[in-house]
Amino acid sequence: MPTTAGAVEGMPPNIHPHLPPTDTAMDPRQEYALLETRRHFFGRCAAGIGTAALSSLLNPSLLSADAPAGDDKTFGVLPALHFAPKAKRVIWLFMADAPSQLDLYDYKPKMQDWFDKDLPDSVRNGQRITTMTSGQARFPIAPSLFKFQQYGRHGAWLSELLPHTGSIADDITIVKSVHTEAINHDPAITFIQTGSQLPGRPSTGAWLSYGIGSPNQDLPAFVVLHSRWSSKAGSQALFSRLWGAGFLPTKHQGVALRSSGDPVLYLSNPPGVDAAARRRMLDGLAALNQKRLAELGDPEITARIAQYEMAYRMQTSVPELTDISQEPQHVLDLYGPEAKDPGSFAYNCLLARRLAERGVRFTQVFIRGWDHHGGLPGNIRMQAKDVDQAGAGLVKDLKQRGLLDDTLVVWGGEFGRTIYSQGTLTKDNYGRDHHPRCFTMWFAGGGVKPGQVYGETDDFSYNIAQNPVHVHDVNATLMHCLGIDHERLTYRFQGRDFRLTDIEGKVVRDILT
Amino acid sequence: MKQCRLEFGRAWAECLSLAVSLALCWTAPAAAAEKKIDFNREIRPILSNNCFKCHGPDEKERQAGLRLDRQEGAAAELPSGAKAVVAGQIAASALVERITTADADAKMPPPASGKTLKPEEIEKLKRWIDEGAEYRGHWSFLPPVRVEPPPINHEPLVRTPIDRFLLARLEAEGLEPSPPADPVTLVRRVTFDLTGLPPTPAEVDTFVADPSPAAYEALVDWLLNSPRYGEHMARYWLDAARYGDTHGLHFDNERALWKYRDWVIDAFNRNLPFDRFTVEQLAGDLLPNPTPEQRIATGFNRCNVSTSEGGSINEEVLVRYAVDRVETTSTVFMGLTMGCCVCHDHKFDPFTQKDFYRLYAFFGSVAESAMDGNALAPPPIIKVPTPEEETRQKTLNEQIAQVRGQIAAELAKVEYVEPNQPTVSAEPREFVWIDDDTPAGAKQEGGWTFVSAPSPVLSGSKASTRKSAGLSQHFFTGAKDGLRVGEGDKLFAYVYLDSADKPKEIMLQFNDGSWEHRATWGEDVIPWGAANSPSRQPVGALPEAGQWVRLEVDAAKVGLAPGAVINGWAFTQHDGTCFWDQAGIVTRTPQAGQSFDSQLAWETYERAQSKSTLSAPLQEALKADAATRKDEQTKLLRDHFLEHVYGKTREVFDPLHKQADELNKQLAALDAAIPTTMVMAEAPQPRETFILVRGAYDKHGEKVTAGTPAVLPPLPKDAPPTRLGLAQWLVDPSHPLTARVTVNRFWQQYFGSGIVKTAGDFGAQGEWPTHPELLDWLATEFVGSGWNVKHIQKLIVMSASYQQSSRSTPQLIERDPENLLLARGPRFRMDAEAVRDSALAVSGLLVERLGGRSVKPYQPEGLWEAVGFLGSNTSIYKQDPGDALYRRSLYTFWKRTSPPASLTTFDAPSRETCTVRRARTNTPLQALVLMNDVQYVEAARRLAERMMTEGGATPEEQIVYAFRLATARRPAADELAVLAGVYGAYLADYQAKPDAAAKLLAVGDSKRNALLDASQLAARTMVANLILNLDETITKE
Repeated sequence: MPTTAGAVEGMPPNIHPHLPPTDTAMDPRQEYALLETRRHFFGRCAAGIGTAALSSLLNPSLLSADAPAGDDKTFGVLPALHFAPKAKRVIWLFMADAPSQLDLYDYKPKMQDWFDKDLPDSVRNGQRITTMTSGQARFPIAPSLFKFQQYGRHGAWLSELLPHTGSIADDITIVKSVHTEAINHDPAITFIQTGSQLPGRPSTGAWLSYGIGSPNQDLPAFVVLHSRWSSKAGSQALFSRLWGAGFLPTKHQGVALRSSGDPVLYLSNPPGVDAAARRRMLDGLAALNQKRLAELGDPEITARIAQYEMAYRMQTSVPELTDISQEPQHVLDLYGPEAKDPGSFAYNCLLARRLAERGVRFTQVFIRGWDHHGGLPGNIRMQAKDVDQAGAGLVKDLKQRGLLDDTLVVWGGEFGRTIYSQGTLTKDNYGRDHHPRCFTMWFAGGGVKPGQVYGETDDFSYNIAQNPVHVHDVNATLMHCLGIDHERLTYRFQGRDFRLTDIEGKVVRDILT
Repeated sequence: MKQCRLEFGRAWAECLSLAVSLALCWTAPAAAAEKKIDFNREIRPILSNNCFKCHGPDEKERQAGLRLDRQEGAAAELPSGAKAVVAGQIAASALVERITTADADAKMPPPASGKTLKPEEIEKLKRWIDEGAEYRGHWSFLPPVRVEPPPINHEPLVRTPIDRFLLARLEAEGLEPSPPADPVTLVRRVTFDLTGLPPTPAEVDTFVADPSPAAYEALVDWLLNSPRYGEHMARYWLDAARYGDTHGLHFDNERALWKYRDWVIDAFNRNLPFDRFTVEQLAGDLLPNPTPEQRIATGFNRCNVSTSEGGSINEEVLVRYAVDRVETTSTVFMGLTMGCCVCHDHKFDPFTQKDFYRLYAFFGSVAESAMDGNALAPPPIIKVPTPEEETRQKTLNEQIAQVRGQIAAELAKVEYVEPNQPTVSAEPREFVWIDDDTPAGAKQEGGWTFVSAPSPVLSGSKASTRKSAGLSQHFFTGAKDGLRVGEGDKLFAYVYLDSADKPKEIMLQFNDGSWEHRATWGEDVIPWGAANSPSRQPVGALPEAGQWVRLEVDAAKVGLAPGAVINGWAFTQHDGTCFWDQAGIVTRTPQAGQSFDSQLAWETYERAQSKSTLSAPLQEALKADAATRKDEQTKLLRDHFLEHVYGKTREVFDPLHKQADELNKQLAALDAAIPTTMVMAEAPQPRETFILVRGAYDKHGEKVTAGTPAVLPPLPKDAPPTRLGLAQWLVDPSHPLTARVTVNRFWQQYFGSGIVKTAGDFGAQGEWPTHPELLDWLATEFVGSGWNVKHIQKLIVMSASYQQSSRSTPQLIERDPENLLLARGPRFRMDAEAVRDSALAVSGLLVERLGGRSVKPYQPEGLWEAVGFLGSNTSIYKQDPGDALYRRSLYTFWKRTSPPASLTTFDAPSRETCTVRRARTNTPLQALVLMNDVQYVEAARRLAERMMTEGGATPEEQIVYAFRLATARRPAADELAVLAGVYGAYLADYQAKPDAAAKLLAVGDSKRNALLDASQLAARTMVANLILNLDETITKE
C-alpha cells in the first residue's frame, strides 16, 4: 500500500462498531450516552494524535470494554437485545403492487360454483371499496382459473403457479389472514413499510439499523434491491421513503444496491484513479485531518477520518459482494435460469443470500408488477414465474448453508385482491381490485415454525374467519424474532416516543417456534 | 380557561424572578441543593415523560382518575381514596409510595411501559412535594417577558446585548469565554452563515487588512445586502415549508410551485417583516386586493404532498391535506406538535382534539380538488407574467383584434349570389392523390421505383413498382396538403399483380399521425396490427393477377373518422411483384385546391356529416331550414361560408387567416412560457368541520367552528375567523410562541442548535431553553423591531459570542460537550447545499442566477427509473445541459419520492413533510460523494485549472492558492509539505500513465483547458480532490 504522508500505515481492517456518532437530532438520553463515547474518544485523542494513536483509536480490541458481550449484543442504540433472538437478520421479498392471494395461496374451491354470481351483500357488509370498482353495477365473482394442489406434511394448498414454493412447504409458515388499513398502493405500501400511511416515519430497516445496527462494518446495515418484472400490467411507483430514515438520522436509511452502474452510489473512483491513487489521496487527507484534530480538538474530525477509511473499505467489499462469478452452477440452478442476470429477482435473491452471509441486518428485495386490475391470468403467470423458483431457491440455499436458522425470510405485498372481477369477467379472463381485508404472506427461518398454515378467510377470501394478523403484528413479530420488544425500540421526535408499530402491534406467537 | 391563564401569568412572573438563579444551577447540582426546585424545569419533564401518557391531558387514556398535569388533579382525592400529591407531606403522597414501592404490581411507571425513574428523579419529586408541590403553567405558553440584559464582569467583551446573557451564564458556571476567532476564520464563518458561500481570497485579504469592529460591521452589512443572503435563508425556510418540485405521492409528477420558492428568496432579500411574511404566506389571498406576489406567497400551504391515485376516496384525501396544513403551521410558527390531536387529546400538552379541529376549520374549505390530476398546476393557480410578457400579450391581442376587424370589413364588402350550376357538387367524387408522383411535401421512404410503358401503367405516364422476397414496402409521410376524410368516404388504389410472381398478401396503410390504419388482401402473413380491427382490416382475397384491379376500403373501417387528415400512405406486400397506380379518396369533402362555390352545396355537405367539425351555433343554424332560420343564423352561415369555405373569396381571407394564425400561435407560445403557480383560495361554499373520531375521515363527531386552542390567546377582536385571522393571531404581539420559535430557528442556523434544542417542540416534551431570558429578550426584540429579520440576524453575528474561536479543549469538551453554554464559537459540518455550493464556488464553476425553474444537475443514472411510476413524467431523469449543472443547490429539482442523492447523503430531507431541524450525520457515503461524484471530480479539475492559470508560478504557490480558496487560510508548512508530497507522487504517476490522466480530465460536461499539460493538470486535480474532501473544507468553524 503506497503512502505519502505515512500517517495511516498499519490501519486495521475493521473499525469498532461504536464510532463516535454524530447525529444531532436524537433523544437527549441517547445523546448523553453517545457523548460519553465521544468523551472517551476525546480522552484518547488528547493524549496525542499520531499514527499510533489513530490506529489505536480505530482498533476494536482496545475498545472492547465498551461492547456488550454475549449473544444479546447490538451495534445500535439498544444497549442489549430485549430477549434472546431467534433471527439475526431479515430478508424481506417484497411483492409491491399486491399479488392476488386468490390465485396463489388462498384456495377457494367452492367459488367454482359461484362463477359470475354476485358477491352477497352480507359478505361485503357495506365495507368501503376503491373508487375504481365502487361504480361497478355488479360485483361478479371470479373463481381462480388456476389449479391448486397440496404440498408438504401439512398439506398446504398452493396454486399451480407456485410449484417451487410447494417444494419448500415444509419450511415455511403461510399466513392467510394478514390485513391492513389502507386501500390504495401509496398509503398501503407506506403503511406496511413504516407503520404509518403518511410519509415521514422511518422504515422497518431504518429502525433496525438504528436499534441494533449491523455487525458488518464494511457494508450498510440495511440494503435494498430492486428487481425487473415480467408482468405487462402497469406498475405502481416505489418511494425512497419506503427505505427512508424518516425522522431518524439519515445514516439509517436503506442503501440501494444497484444492478447497473455503481452498486452503491458514488462507489467507484473516477476514471483514471485506481485504488492505489485513491489510497494516496486518503493518506494525505488523513494526515491533514489529524493535524486539524490536534489543533481544534473536535471529536467530529475523528469520526470523519474513520468514515473515509470505511468508504475505502467499501470500495473493495461491495464489488466482492456483487461478484457472483465463483458461485457454483448447482447453487445458481436453485435460483433459476435468471440467477446470473443483474437486476432479475433471481439475481437479487442470490445477492440477498450473500448479504446475509456477510451479516447485513436487513435486506429488502422489491419486485413490482402485481397490480392486476385487468388481464390477471396472463399477467400473474409471468409474474409468478419471476418469483417462484428464486424465492424457494433462496430458502433452500440458506438452509443448506445453515443460515436459515437465524435468517428470517418474509414474502408478501401491501394488501390483497378482491374475489369479484374488476371489469369484464369471462371464462378465461378477469381482473381483481385492491382488497385490504385479507391477504397472504409467508415466513421462513429465524424463529418461525416450519411447515404451517395459519389464519383462515371466509369462503370468498373476503373477510378473515380466524386468527387475524394486522400489518403492525407482522412488524411486531419480525422485531420479536430479532430479539427486540417492538414497544421498547423508540425514538423521541417532536415530543413523542415513536415506534415502528405506532401504538399497536402484537407478536403472533402462534407462528413462532 | 380564563382563570387558567391568569394562574399561568402569575406563575410566569415568579418563574422569571427565579430565572437567573435557576440558570446558575443548571449543571451544578451541589449548588442546586440550596435552591427551591423549579416545577417547569425539573419536575414537569419527569412527569411528562413518565406519567402524562396515562395521567395527563388525554381524558380517554386517563387511568385511576388521576391527572398529574394540573395541580388540582394531583391534589384531588382519587376514587381509591388516596391523594397522589399532598403538598409538604411526602409520606401522605401516594405518588411517592407508588414510585418507590418494590411491589411490581403497584410500581409506577409500570414496568410494561418500558419507563423507569432514576433515583435522582425520585429524589427531585420528593423534594418538590416537600417544598410545597407548586405547579406552574408551561413556560412557552406564557407571553415572553423582556428582562434587561444582566450586568456582568466581562463588560469589555460585550458587543451586543446577547453577550450579556451568555456571559452572565458563563460567569455563573465559572467558565471563561474563548478568545475571538482569528480574522480569517471569522470572515469565512460569517460569509458562509449569511450567504451559504465561501469568501474569495480577495475578500479575506480585505478583512484581514482591517479586522476592526467597524470593518466587521461593514462586512456584515454587505453580506446581508447580497442577493446570496436571500437564497441562503430561503433554503432553511423551504425545509420548513416542505417545498418540492413534485406532488410527492403515487405518480409524483412535476408540479409548478417554484415561483413560491422565488418569492421566499425575494422576501428575505427585501427583508420583508416577519409578520407580513407570515400573513402573506398563510392568507395572502384573503388580503384586500391581493397583489400577485401576495397570492404567490400562499403557495406555502400548497406545498403539502398530494395524490391522484386511482381508487382514492376524496374525502379521506382532503382530510389529509388539511391535517398536513394544520401540523405544518403549528410546527413552523408555534413549535407545537398538534399532530397527536388528530386522533385524541394531546398526551403531554394542554391541547384537546377539539382544539385541533378548530384549527383544522381554518384550512377546511380550500378551493381545491382532492385529486391533483397529476397536473403540473392543479387549481387554484395563477399565471405570473413578467411586465414584459404582459406588454407582449397586450400587443398580440391588439394585433389579433385588428386582423379580426379587417376580416369583418372584408366580409361586409362581399356580394354573394348563389350560382345556378355549382362547380363543386354535393355528390361524392373521386380525388386522385397519388399518380405519377407522390403529393407535394411527401417524404418518400422504403425506395420508390417508378416505371413507364411497356411496364403496366394505368394512368398518366408512370406507375410505382416493387419486387420483394418476404415483407417489404414503400411509403411516404409528411404530405403538405393531407387527404381530408368525410362521412362515408372510401379510400382506393389500383394494383397490378405480376401473374408470374404473385405476392402472398398486399396491404394499404394510411397515416394520420399513426400507422394503425391498415387494409389487407390475401393471406394472413404480414404481422402488423390486431386481427379484424381497424389496425388490420381484411378486405378480401388477393386480386386477380395480370390486370389492373381497383382496391377500395371504407375509411371508417380502417379507423379514419370524418375530420381525419391523411398525410402518409404505404404500399406493402409479402413476396411477389406489384405495380401501383392512381390512389386517393372518394369523397364529398373538398380537398386541397378545391372549395365549394355554392353555399347550398356546402350546407348539404355539412348536414350529411355525422360528426361535424363546425361550432355549435353553426350546427344549430344548419339544422334549421332556410324558412325558420333567424336572421343572425342566416348571417352566421353566410359569413362562415364566405370567410372559410367559398372558393372565390379564398384569396381575400386566406392571407388574413394566416396572419391571425401566426399571431395566435405567438400568443399561445407566450402563454405557455408564462409560469403558473399554485396558490390558496377559499371555496365559494365553505365546508363544515367536525371532530373526526379517532381521526377517521368518515366518522364525524361534534361539529366545530374555526378557533384557536383554549390555552393560547383568543383571536384578536377584529380578526376574521379565516386563515387571515389565524395569521393575524400568530403575529399578534400577545402570542407567546411565534416570535420565540422563529428567533430560536435563526439561532439554530448560526450555532447549530437552538436555545430550545427541540426547535419543533416547545411543548412539555420539548427541551428547556438553555438561556430562557435571552430567548425572551430576542423574541421581544424581534417583535419590537417590527419583526425585522435582518436586525435579529445581525445582532447574532455581531455578538462577541458568535465571534469567538471554535477551538476546544478537553476540559471544555468534558464540561460542555454540546457547546450549549457557548464558551466557544460554533463549529459543525455545513448543510448539504452549502457543501455542494462551496465546491462549485471554489472551483469557479458556480453559475449565479436568481430564481427560475428548478434544474437537474448530475445524478447517477437510474435513480428515478428504479422507483418511478411508468406513466409519471418524473420516471426518467434527464440531466440538464450547460449552466444548469452549476446553479446553487436550492434550485435543484426536488423529486420527493427520490430526492437528489448527493444532497440527501448529507442529510437534506425529502421535503415530504415539514422539517425544522435537520439531522447532522457523518457517514462513509458522504466520503464517497465527495471523492467520486462527477460534480466534485469536475470541480476538482476546474480548481486545478484555476491553480495553474491564477495560482502563481510554482506548484507550491498553486497549492496554497487552492487551499486558500477552499478554507480561506494559508496551509502551514507541514500541511503544505504533505500536499506537495502528494502532488509529486501523482505527477510521476500521471506522467507515466497519460491515458489515466486523459480519463480523469474528461470527467464532467465542461471542457478541460487544453492549453494545460495533462499530467500536471491531473496531478493537481487529485490534490484539489483532496482539498475539497478536507474536514475543514466542509465545516464551518
